[in-house]
Amino acid sequence: MDFTLSEQQEFFKKIIVDTVDRMVAPKAQEIDEKDEFPWELWREFTALGYLGLRYPEEIGGMNADKIMCMTFYEEIARGSVGFAQSVIMNILMGTYFLYRFGSDSIKERCLFPAMRGEKIATMCFTEDQSGSDLGATRTTAVKDGNGWRINGTKMWITNGPICDFCTVLATTDPSKGLKGLNFFLVEKGTPGFSSGQVLNKLGCRGTVTGELVFDNVWVPDENFLGDELGKGVIYVGDILDEVRLMTGAMALGIAKGAYNEALEFAKKRVAFGQPIGNYQLIREKFADMDTLMNAARLMIYYGAWMLENGMDSRLIAAEAKMFATEVCLKVVDETTRIYGANAFAYEYTPQRYFRDARFLLYGGGTHEVLKDFIGRSIIGKL
Amino acid sequence: MNILVFIKQVADTEARILIKSDNRSLEIENKFNLNFFDEFAVEEAIRLKAKVKDSKVTVCTYGGKKAIEALRTAIAMGADQAYLIDNTDLDTEDPLITAKILAGFAKKEGFDLILCGRQAIDDENGNIGVMVSEFLNIPHVSAITKLDVVDEKKITVENDVEGGKEIKEIILPALLTTQKGINEPRVPLITGVMKAMKANIPVVEPTSLGFAKDMIDKNASKIKVISYETPKGRPPVKIIEGETPDEKVKKLIQLLREEAKVL
Repeated sequence: MDFTLSEQQEFFKKIIVDTVDRMVAPKAQEIDEKDEFPWELWREFTALGYLGLRYPEEIGGMNADKIMCMTFYEEIARGSVGFAQSVIMNILMGTYFLYRFGSDSIKERCLFPAMRGEKIATMCFTEDQSGSDLGATRTTAVKDGNGWRINGTKMWITNGPICDFCTVLATTDPSKGLKGLNFFLVEKGTPGFSSGQVLNKLGCRGTVTGELVFDNVWVPDENFLGDELGKGVIYVGDILDEVRLMTGAMALGIAKGAYNEALEFAKKRVAFGQPIGNYQLIREKFADMDTLMNAARLMIYYGAWMLENGMDSRLIAAEAKMFATEVCLKVVDETTRIYGANAFAYEYTPQRYFRDARFLLYGGGTHEVLKDFIGRSIIGKL
Repeated sequence: MNILVFIKQVADTEARILIKSDNRSLEIENKFNLNFFDEFAVEEAIRLKAKVKDSKVTVCTYGGKKAIEALRTAIAMGADQAYLIDNTDLDTEDPLITAKILAGFAKKEGFDLILCGRQAIDDENGNIGVMVSEFLNIPHVSAITKLDVVDEKKITVENDVEGGKEIKEIILPALLTTQKGINEPRVPLITGVMKAMKANIPVVEPTSLGFAKDMIDKNASKIKVISYETPKGRPPVKIIEGETPDEKVKKLIQLLREEAKVL
């Protein structure tokens, strides 16, 4: 068993920690307060080239391994989860299907500019009546001439209202349920494609999240993203573990950010004549938080290692996402207790971590769905 | 222009540092960075390279294997190559020895200009640059805040003096140390990070620079650390009580006279 990072991974971690500390973390509070997409930071940060993190060097990517990807997700979320969500959408879900199935022309038009930060990508699964339950997808794609006609409304779309293109999940045959699902590329400016309501969220502010409307949108055959019809749900499976581990890594990042603030505070805040870090009940909180975060980190990076080595990571990815998010919720809660009443004021940061953490409960599968999946996988069909 | 940059890897300002039980050595948490002032030197070298045709930036440090990370950071920023002069088992407390070795490297490597930070933020000695320039018998200006190239053999620099600036012209080769304000060190691009991750960083044995081991080992040090001590704790804060602001001010003045004896 070897838990050490390679010299390359260690170096990458150091660089990304420094970059986040210098560019992202100082803006986090402002991003949250304004709740507007931070265009200036987006331009500065994406100019560094991180959006090609997962993709091969030949097309301008970095070809980072999964351990490095998790390090990136964790650290950028530590800096500002509102910003991290937009960045990660371009890196992972928003471009995955274009890289895998897109024609050269689509790659030139959408993927490469998205890797450079010139275009904003997104991925649309969720609808008002379906999230984890993909089989209930009501958006339809019907064959029409040399293309497809798409109708439906998507909800809770990260980057949705500002996206330049999206990968949309639609059913080509509602009678087939999950086997009728397919992915299509829809670009901004396509007639009938528009953004609807922008959501006013409790946390992860700064990420523009909202509704996308597909009203008789016609796209050419080229925009069908897949090898053959009906395999959409299989493709989702191919990326799901990485998405779940990524969500866990983001949870860990938020937890770490909150924990660092709590630690600083516990060292400086004096009560009854001494720093509160001298009191056993406060120390216990740090012991618990550190233990839980280490456990979550081991799960996430173990999952990433399995994924990197082509092993079946379905269970560990679900478990790691769920565990890390619950750990995050515990850590942000303890941070508000250590901070005392100041945690309740918008002037201080703990309330931001407290709000941000809640959003990770839903992305990558609710814990109710995940627990059922894990339990079912273990027990099997009886 | 052949530009050499000397850097040092130092403990992060937030790293936990404990004095070991022998009182003569430190236990430092595993958080290290490229020295704050050296970042300005690396950045300035890279900017110079962009301005002066056919320039090359070589970065070098005298340190342990761990310091390769700091060298990689410099490559990620844009340096062309880096060398580690390995000080394993030769860790010295005497900056004169470090300066001798770096000067030896500069002689061997060749240079038109040497840049380094004005001081390291760990030991705060601030004497390596000066001593290296002495060993090399070249001009030196400390703590520069601006650098302009006149021609291949001449540069002008600015440094802060009491109440103003001093502008100097210098004939190359020369050594300059960099001060905060000269530039804003860049955040590395991912292309730089990738180059740095793959970069082969040669390890140079100090003995290969013409120094016998007994000239540079711990016994050769003319400076030895006797002990480290933590700063004395601050005296407790005194809160001046009183019914009215007038009363509080009176008490404060009394204390400043009688206790602090500053009035």
